[in-house]
Amino acid sequence: MSYKVRLPLFEGPFDLLVYLIERAKVSIYDIPIAEITAQYMDYLRDMRELNVSLSSEFLVLASELLQIKSQMMLPGQREKEEPLTEDPRSDLAERLAEYRKCKLAGTMLRKRESEMRDIYRKPQEDLHEYTDHPDEVLSLGMDDFVKAFRAFLHRKKTVADTVNRYTLLERERRTVEAKMMHIRDVMLRAKDWEIREISFSDFVENPESRMDTIVSFLSLLQLSRDQYLQPEQRFLYGEITIRSGKKDFAEFDAEEAAGRAAGDLQIV
Amino acid sequence: MKSALESMLFVWGDPLPAKNAGDVFGISQEETEELLDELMVEYEERGSGIQIRRINASYQLVTKEENADFIRRLATPVKVKKLSQAALEVLAIIAYKQPVTKAEMEAIRGTRCDRVVDGLEAKGLVRECGRSTGAGRPVLYGTTDKFLEVFGFSDLSELPSIDLFESDSASAAEEEDSESDQRQLHFPFGM
Repeated sequence: MSYKVRLPLFEGPFDLLVYLIERAKVSIYDIPIAEITAQYMDYLRDMRELNVSLSSEFLVLASELLQIKSQMMLPGQREKEEPLTEDPRSDLAERLAEYRKCKLAGTMLRKRESEMRDIYRKPQEDLHEYTDHPDEVLSLGMDDFVKAFRAFLHRKKTVADTVNRYTLLERERRTVEAKMMHIRDVMLRAKDWEIREISFSDFVENPESRMDTIVSFLSLLQLSRDQYLQPEQRFLYGEITIRSGKKDFAEFDAEEAAGRAAGDLQIV
Repeated sequence: MKSALESMLFVWGDPLPAKNAGDVFGISQEETEELLDELMVEYEERGSGIQIRRINASYQLVTKEENADFIRRLATPVKVKKLSQAALEVLAIIAYKQPVTKAEMEAIRGTRCDRVVDGLEAKGLVRECGRSTGAGRPVLYGTTDKFLEVFGFSDLSELPSIDLFESDSASAAEEEDSESDQRQLHFPFGM
């Protein structure tokens, strides 16, 4: 339902202020501040009564107007200070002048926009059969291509599975500390079986969980810094492989882990 | 060559950069522009219903505005959504003050300009054209050739001088009295 109201709607507080000033037929540089402020506040009140919410910028300008008004009303101050104190309205006047220019320029543009609607042009002809841009050729080895495609299919399947299952995202409370202990276990087991290189994905217990991956990665960084691990990534976006670092994991116990994790963000 | 250029303008439809047209013949951009300017005059002198207009360094075949009515009678053109008041104000600021940051625009308008600028960018009327050297290195915006096309300027120098908009309230009030009455009618608002 729409109906015409007496109250016009303004683009912003400056729009309103300029309107009030022009309606009062006064100069922007010599605003009767008390009167204008009163009218401005009237408008805000009317809008509130009609349940129209105005942006906070209207209130910001309201407080500015009130401040200027009170500054203008303090006679004592003006006697004490130099006679040529800056008119508290001048800053506002400048800004209003700028705004008014932009508003008039906007009106000019609107007029031209209308005029230009009388001019028509033809869309471009379909020239594709005449252009000789060869199709981009993908230069990849067959192996890489197959690998990439398989990874793509796998990712797609994972996404589809997740969507179908509607599993609730578990908010595991997983600390870096616990993850470090897990990494330690993995590394010690690998040592037992004389496996030199572990891949990063072996640290991630639940590949579906992004949180798990993040925690694992943070732990990896921490442990690498402390020389328990030696990670390597041979190709851009390739698998991260980890070897044992200088320090031996056998001595890495819960206390160590707590110490390492201390000061790190505890991930909720 | 002029004949070929004419055909090219017709087929291209969009504003055709003089440089590209010139490359076809292996002639310079200046020469091409000269030829196209001549062609523009010829169209004018012939009293043709089609004219050539320039947009920066591009040229385009378009109809004459006086024939708009007849064209519309022939076919009903799709109603293009007009730009909002806010969009026009922001666009005016960008046009006259470019390059300009969002913060500078907001200081002039007194309200936030984020979404309006994004909308104008989506319409292809403004674009990012660098970053300011100030704190945070905010993005600078400027108008595009499409802006010139839509508003009928051959280039930015054709923007009416901004001083024309500087008028003291008293005289402006008289001029705008009728307009502001109109404005009241323009804003019926639904609840």
